[in-house]
Amino acid sequence: MAVVERLDVGFVERWVREAALGIQAQRDFLTQLDAAIGDADHGVNMDRGFAAAVARMDEAPDGLPGSLLEAVGSTLVLSVGGAAGPLYGSAMRAMGRSLGDADTFDAERLLVLLRAGLEEIQRLGAATVGDKTIVDAFLPATQAFERGLRTGEGLPAVAARARAAAEEGVLATVPLQARKGRASYLGARSVGHQDPGATSTAILFAALERATAGEGSGP
Amino acid sequence: MIQSVRRAGSILRELGSGPRPLGVTELAERLGLAKATVYGLLRSLEVEELVERDVETGRYRLGPTLLQLGNAYLDSHELRARSLLWADALATRTSEAVRVGVPNGPNVLIVHHVFRPDDSVQILEVGASIPWHVSALGKAIAAHDFEEVRDRLLEGPLPRLTGRTITDPEELRRALEEVHRAGVAVEDQEAVIGEAEVAAAILDHDGVPRGAIGVAGPVERLLPDGVARGDLVAAVKESARGLTRDLGGGRRYARIR
Repeated sequence: MAVVERLDVGFVERWVREAALGIQAQRDFLTQLDAAIGDADHGVNMDRGFAAAVARMDEAPDGLPGSLLEAVGSTLVLSVGGAAGPLYGSAMRAMGRSLGDADTFDAERLLVLLRAGLEEIQRLGAATVGDKTIVDAFLPATQAFERGLRTGEGLPAVAARARAAAEEGVLATVPLQARKGRASYLGARSVGHQDPGATSTAILFAALERATAGEGSGP
Repeated sequence: MIQSVRRAGSILRELGSGPRPLGVTELAERLGLAKATVYGLLRSLEVEELVERDVETGRYRLGPTLLQLGNAYLDSHELRARSLLWADALATRTSEAVRVGVPNGPNVLIVHHVFRPDDSVQILEVGASIPWHVSALGKAIAAHDFEEVRDRLLEGPLPRLTGRTITDPEELRRALEEVHRAGVAVEDQEAVIGEAEVAAAILDHDGVPRGAIGVAGPVERLLPDGVARGDLVAAVKESARGLTRDLGGGRRYARIR
């Protein structure tokens, strides 16, 4: 399988398409998780938003990786709704801005991009690890990505580390009591439930891992 | 103090701290009590239907009587009973969810919640306790409260729930002055990202805020371009004025608009 060294707009497009497939496959599971502590709309909202992002990519020409991410982000803000739309959409836009008008980028720049997304989510939500939010998966995944890069691993291995760290972060949300979001003022009822936002973040990192494998449908 | 009553209270709080039923051994460990003591308390609580025992696992969870008591507690708020019709009408008129809250220390206790009148799945927020400064209901109440109450609220703690939560006491004080002047409070993603609320205070015959009523929903619908929609503000203020009149506070309300 081809290993992507230079990342371009095609890589971003694969990431978004893989994310849309992953979200679609897990839609009912995400909704089920959300029903326990939220509005029961996370799966449906995310699926609608990523389907809209894919439709937008199908219509418009590729352009630059940064501008594609910004366009996808804007679509998510408009079409996901709830808290997830502004959070994921703004994060994608921040990722796109971090690339500027570069045609291609490397794994170091991908780390910068992930950090920009994480920072935007934390700026909007003021959440830290342990608050039972997206951050519980996003932050450890970004840290694992950086550790992988520093050990000199190839991008697919680095992305696999990030995905695994995100999934660990998701499981760690189960016993937590939510300190942010609507679940926070529902108090103890959030204990014992896996956070839907952290779960969808892990799906996005799994999509990133698949996108780094070169061809979109790789295992 | 009657020790067994206090211990029974601790048992109920432990059982209410999560969705999972608890066994006698686990409860005894958590409370630092002898198993026999916990067992005796649980049996008494079970007779009163304050807890129930799962036949298969032998574990205990909260009992159905608590729901009746919770409802009785809500009904004890005169404001809740009076707000039912006003809240329904406001939800129908605005096509958004409506919440009624009463002051409860540094929090707003949601005592009534009418779902947004569409067929989306929503979660009942009655019983939720929201920090006053992240809620339009709380800000509407605080803006009309006695100065010493307001000062105490502003002393905090003022936890941050989102990046937009106002946690600076002076900034909050200025915001409350504006709420008092405008007769309406607006919250813009200060509690939950993507959500906003527009609320107005309900005053009694002495002009003291007894609670607030407000419309809650997606920020893009409630605050297009970052400003509360005029028709929502008018509808919310009208409902608050109506409820204020019902509580005998009409003239006072006229004074603050």
